[in-house]
Amino acid sequence: MPLLNTTLEALRLLFSWDATLWGTILISVKVCFLALLIAAPLAIALGFVLATYRFPGRRLAIVLVQTLLALPTVVIGLILYMMLSRLGPFGELHLLFTQQAMVIGEAILAFPILAALTLAAVQAVDERVAETARTLGAGHLRSAMTILLEVRFAVMAAIVSGFGRVISEIGCAMMVGGNIAGVTRNITTTIALETSKGEFVQGIALGIVLVVIALAINIGLAVLQGRGGLR
Amino acid sequence: MNAVIMNTPVYMQALDNLLQVYGLRKTFGERLLFDVPELSLKHGQSYVLTGSNGSGKTTLLRILAGLEPAQINSLYFAGRVVPAPKICTQLAPRVIYLHQHPYLFSTSVAANIAYGLKASGLNLRQRDAKVNAAMQWAGVQYLAQIPPHKLSGGEKQRVALARAKVLNPEILLLDEPTANLDEEARQQVIALIRKMCDDNHCVVIATHDPELMALKDAVKLRLENASLQTQ
Repeated sequence: MPLLNTTLEALRLLFSWDATLWGTILISVKVCFLALLIAAPLAIALGFVLATYRFPGRRLAIVLVQTLLALPTVVIGLILYMMLSRLGPFGELHLLFTQQAMVIGEAILAFPILAALTLAAVQAVDERVAETARTLGAGHLRSAMTILLEVRFAVMAAIVSGFGRVISEIGCAMMVGGNIAGVTRNITTTIALETSKGEFVQGIALGIVLVVIALAINIGLAVLQGRGGLR
Repeated sequence: MNAVIMNTPVYMQALDNLLQVYGLRKTFGERLLFDVPELSLKHGQSYVLTGSNGSGKTTLLRILAGLEPAQINSLYFAGRVVPAPKICTQLAPRVIYLHQHPYLFSTSVAANIAYGLKASGLNLRQRDAKVNAAMQWAGVQYLAQIPPHKLSGGEKQRVALARAKVLNPEILLLDEPTANLDEEARQQVIALIRKMCDDNHCVVIATHDPELMALKDAVKLRLENASLQTQ
């Protein structure tokens, strides 16, 4: 029963409030939240504009967003690495191997998923929403906010999906963060490192945390949907 | 104002007519839906618009509300020129269109009725007073905090009428307001429409309902074979 024993050991490690372990969790959560905070307003606005307005280059922009969805995280990490490395265009900023670099990378990763899911949600909204808002005297901004409020659960689901993508990815975090203990080492890079050393306890402990975070967010979303009157 | 201008026939006509549209044409590709050389709606007058299915009743109402593009030579509202693409921006909520199946935003009934007032910048206290009066007018006080998806068709229609009434529109465009309602709900909606007409609103009702078609003092308009006739 090695798996059971390792899992029990992992739970013991978690509840011993090990400072290094919880520090790693904190870095992951902090980086993800900051990345979403940066990406969400811009991506939601872009998704809304792409769904609502017709302009030259719109189709190309949609294709680009959808392509970015499928781009491997390690490729984004590589491009960002080259941009931030000493010889890159932003090398002078000295951001490589910092949490800021990880935040930028994760924000780029979250952006297309947030934009694409918002685009789909707004495209699917009943056209009477905008018409009713307009005929009742709402301006462009209020109409836009009304539409987004009507699809708020889909937008929240997009944010949850974005969070899921960034908290579980490893390629970008490893490349631009550098996996520096106590600074840029997060849940996924720790799991990879510990597993490569044959140390499974910490990896499983962090895996349990990832599952709990995903579960908590989805339960929260379901509760909100229930309060919103969705059946 | 210059007395000479005030006595001119055009000015007198503008005072009498709330809305005047000249050279209104709607086509779908090659197909001409209707061609209306002139349409005038007077202050406080009610109109019943009939016509067979597909004759363009809904489209005509939507054009007058600025929700549907059409070819218009000129349009005057209260004597002022309104450019066709700006009908909705300039005339809402003085002109309000109600869908056959009104869309209620997924908040509460009270918040729905307050929507246009909020858009107009009215403060909370004034808003509450007006919302309460409108709910009382429509007999929907008992629904104040109910989410719209729990309402029946008749209740939705009454809430939508209250949401429009609270904004004191000069023209109210109703698209088949009693379609698909049971007898009790139909009578309640008709009673509210009668009250709107008695309150000196200009109400235009597209309908097949014999009771609405026989509305006292209403001007009867018929849209048939691509032209609008006064009966």
